[in-house]
Order: sequence, then C-alpha cells, then structure tokens
Amino acid sequence: MSTLETRGLTRRFGGLVAVNNVSFSLDRGEILGVIGPNGSGKTTFINLVSGVYLPSSGSIMFKGRDITSDAPHLRARAGIARTFQLIHPLQSLTVRENVMLGFLFSRGMRLRQARVEADTICGSLGLERLDRGVAEITMLETKKMEIARALANNPEILFLDEVMAGLNVDETREMVGLVQSVSRRHNIGVGVVEHVMSVIRDLTHRVIVLENGEIIAAGPYEEVSRNPRVIAAYLGGAA
Amino acid sequence: MRRPLSFLIPLLALAAAALLPLVSGPYPLAVARSVLTYMALAISWDMLLRSGQISFGIAGFFGLGAYAAALSVLRGGMSPILSILFAGVFAGAVALILGLVILRLRAVYFSITTLALAEIFRVIIQNWSDFTGGPEGLVLPKLIFNGESKSLYWLVLAAVVIACAASTMFEKSRIRLALSAIRNNEQSAAASGIGIFKYLLVAFVVSSFIQGIVGGIQLQGYGFASPDAVFDSNYTLLPLAMALLGGIHGTPGPVIGALLLGIAAEFLKLHIPYGHLVVYGIIIVLVILFMPQGLYGLLRSRRHAVAPVAENRVDAGAWGK
Ligand SMILES: Nc1ncnc2c1ncn2[C@@H]1O[C@H](COP(=O)(O)OP(=O)(O)OP(=O)(O)O)[C@@H](O)[C@H]1O
Ligand SMILES: [Mg+2]
Repeated sequence: MSTLETRGLTRRFGGLVAVNNVSFSLDRGEILGVIGPNGSGKTTFINLVSGVYLPSSGSIMFKGRDITSDAPHLRARAGIARTFQLIHPLQSLTVRENVMLGFLFSRGMRLRQARVEADTICGSLGLERLDRGVAEITMLETKKMEIARALANNPEILFLDEVMAGLNVDETREMVGLVQSVSRRHNIGVGVVEHVMSVIRDLTHRVIVLENGEIIAAGPYEEVSRNPRVIAAYLGGAA
Repeated sequence: MRRPLSFLIPLLALAAAALLPLVSGPYPLAVARSVLTYMALAISWDMLLRSGQISFGIAGFFGLGAYAAALSVLRGGMSPILSILFAGVFAGAVALILGLVILRLRAVYFSITTLALAEIFRVIIQNWSDFTGGPEGLVLPKLIFNGESKSLYWLVLAAVVIACAASTMFEKSRIRLALSAIRNNEQSAAASGIGIFKYLLVAFVVSSFIQGIVGGIQLQGYGFASPDAVFDSNYTLLPLAMALLGGIHGTPGPVIGALLLGIAAEFLKLHIPYGHLVVYGIIIVLVILFMPQGLYGLLRSRRHAVAPVAENRVDAGAWGK
C-alpha cells in the first residue's frame, strides 16, 4: 500500500463536479506532477487531501489509516503538508516565526527548540535574515519560506500548488533543484501542481492529468505529453 | 529581555500605582480605581482580539460576574474574596459552554452574537426575579474590607496585575504565534498544525474569566448590582475605545489607552454630561481611520526604523470575508 491513496475522490460545488472520481497514490521519495488546464480541479484535489474541503464521496488513506474526515490541522500533524496557490503568509509574524509554527504545533516542540530548527531549515534553503516581516522579502524568498513552513511539519507527503508561479527562469531552476533535494533528503513524496511544462518534465517521475476534475491520463511525462487527449485538453483550455 | 526599559517601565508603573493610595485624596483615588477597572477589561478584550475575533460582549461577562458574586454571597454564604474568584470561574465556564457554539462564527456574525448574548444575560437576570432580585437588583449587607477605599483600590489593582500577567503569558508563549496565525489566515494556520478551535476557546475563556473577576470586584466595591447598572454598554464601549486608542494586539496599548481615555472621560463627565459617549465614538472612528496601530504602535514605529506596522490594525478583511 502507498503512503497516500485516494479512492473515487469526488467533490461537487452545487452542480459543478470539481473533482470527479479520482483514485491515485503517492509514495515517499516520489515526485508526482499534477497537471491540467485552468479550473480542472488541481487545487480542489489538494484541498481535499489536506482537509480544507470534505469530499462529497470517496476516501483518503494515509499510511493505511482512513483520514477522509480528519480536520486539516490533524492531517498536517500526521504528515501531509502543502503550500497554497494564493500564498497567504502570516503577515503579523516574522519569516522565522512563520517557519516555527510547524515545529511548535505539528511537532509539539518548545519555543527555543523550534527557533533553532527553523533557523536550520531556512539555512538549508538559503533563506536568511529571518527577523524580517513577510512584507519585506522577495517573491523567491516567499516561495522558499512557504516550503520551509511546509517542511516544518515533518511531512511524508508534500503538495506544492504552483510554487514556481511568479519566478523568473533562474529562480525557477533554483527551486526545481531545491524541491528535488528536499524530496531526496527527507524522503518526502511530493505532488507538484505546475503549469510550466519544463518544470514538470525536469522534476517529476510520473504525471497525472486532470480535465474537468477527472484523470484523463497518467504515466511518465514523455508518454503523457504525447497523449492526444491531453494535447486536446490543453488546446481546448487555451482556445 | 531585549532592553532593560521594557522590564523597568512596567515595574515602576506598578510601584507608582501601588503607592498612589498613600499620597492621593479620596477623589483621585476613586478616579484611579475606575480607570484600573476599565484597564483590566480593555486588556481582556484585546486578548481575544489577537485571534481576530471582535467581541462586543464585555459588559455581558462583566455583569455575569457581578451577579455571580452577589448571588454566591447572598444565597451561598460565600466569603467576599471567594465570591470574586467564583465570579471569574462562573463567567469563564459560561464562556466555555457558549464558546463551543459561537466560536464557530466569524467576523461580524461573532461580534453581533456576543452583543446579543450580553443582552440575553441581562433579560434573564431581570426576569428571574425570585432568584436574582429582578430589575431592582441586589444589595450586599456588608462590603468587602468594610468598604475601605484604599484596600478596594488595591483589589482592583490586583485584577489589573492578573490581566497583565495573563496577557503577557499569551505574548511570551506559543499562544501569541497561534492567535496571530489564526488572525492572519486560518487555512495557513491549520496547515501548520494549529488547532484553531482550541486556541479560540482558550482566548475566549481566559478573557471572560478576567471580565467576570472585574465584575465581581465591582460588585464588592459598590455593594449593589442591578441589570441596568452592571450590563451598562459603557462596560463594552469604553474598554474597546481604550484599547483602540492605546494600540491593539499587546499589553501596553490597552494600559496606555485606559490611562489617557479613563482620565479624559472623568473630566468630560464633569463638564459635558453624556458628552463623553460622543467623544468615545469620535475617538474610535478617528483611531481606526488614521492611527490603526494606536498610540503605542506609533511610539514603537518611531523607535524602530522599520516597524511591522501593518500587523496592528483591526483587520478590515475579517469583516469582509
Ligand atoms: N469553493 C468553491 N466553490 C465553488 N466552486 C469552486 C470552489 N473551489 C473551486 N471551485 C470550482 O472548481 C473548479 C476547479 O477549480 P480548481 O481551483 O480546483 O482548479 P485548478 O485546476 O486548480 O485551476 P487553476 O489552474 O486555475 O489553479 C473550478 O471550476 C472552480 O471554479
Ligand atoms: Mg489551482
């Protein structure tokens, strides 16, 4: 059994089926790409797995346990971390304090220890001057902080929702390297939602493609990118 | 810790406050007692505000405390000091039970519900005449310390010290990080493992506990409680205006605001009866518009070249959600 598995995961918003019968699995150490046109249900899928929304039907298993109806903060503690597409860093806290949260509340550390751990993990991502407020840091630093915040939970599974958006080519390359090394070093299964196909190609072992909430293709990037249905979905989405 | 001043100033202020009865005449002492009463309430209100939840129910838990104290003395034969503690515990327990329901509400829905609760408390007590004395209220046959004003003042000062201690404990512990995170963004907070409901409940219960204690002390100070007197909306409005004026999301702001506005209110009451209410209203509006970080926030941003100013404002976004 995989670390994270969903079976027939479905979420409706009124008449709209945002995620439709999605069954997938993700193992530690694996990097999975989740792609699909705008509005295909990628973010909603992450919201279901992280507990922001409850599914209309279907189930979520994590390390062999059914977590389908667990609260979001319990899933974070259990080992499912995520970043947000619409980043909302906590603006009343410093960068360091943002990162300390996971150590404090997911792992139950004391303040002093959490501070040390936050400094260490930020250092490993090249994030410095942690006393700054989050309004004072660059986009790249914000993205690194979001990853550091997620890692502070000590996750086994990590979802990154368009973490490269807003970065230039060089910064994107740096982030791709970071995600790879983070996944390897901490043996984390990473689900990457991204619109930039070169990032998906360089980063992922395997890809699932969503359209209208359904998985329409799955497999290695080279294979999926040649799939006529996938090409049609993207052209249709762009038209 | 950072600078010796941040340790010294509160200590000197406390010493000055404690010595005041030895040098002050009866009228200034009465004013000071009233200022301290509102100060404790202002601090307690701010403690919940740090989570983003804006309570309009201060008078509700204050009045509940006053009645809990009165009834525990009159019907339960409790000692005065014990009755004050009971007032806090009772208000805290009511907050715990009600909080389980109303802390699911956010923004303006929470605020209005707390306002309605205070009114419900008042109506229940007013109509449950057999037990509560109804609209005429209750009179204590004997005051604590026999009504001796210096001791009463010190008792209120003790409540302020308790409020400051609890507030500082919030600030120096993980509770500050939890409440700030919840106020900024609940989804992000939960994604870091923060049990949002638990921390909201802690803040609501502790702040209601303090309000209950202050109500219990007020009862012992005046020896009288009636629904109109103890549920007076002034007990909500004034602490709120004080905290906003002084600066929210920390202990110093409400303390400074209570000192300034409390003393100002006393003069206003003398010179323009009821005019003070207008002044509170104007202050609230002006502060929110032009000085959202309050006086203490202003002071801080002067001292530090770059200050996290954006954090200290009543989050307008929370009302638009
Ligand atoms: N809370 C909600 N209420 C109603 N509809 C929603 C809600 N959240 C998402 N949707 C709808 O569900 C569909 C899927 O949205 P989702 O955000 O998951 O797409 P996405 O694949 O992440 O898109 P993008 O690439 O633009 O980020 C969209 O049609 C969206 O409007
Ligand atoms: Mg999305």
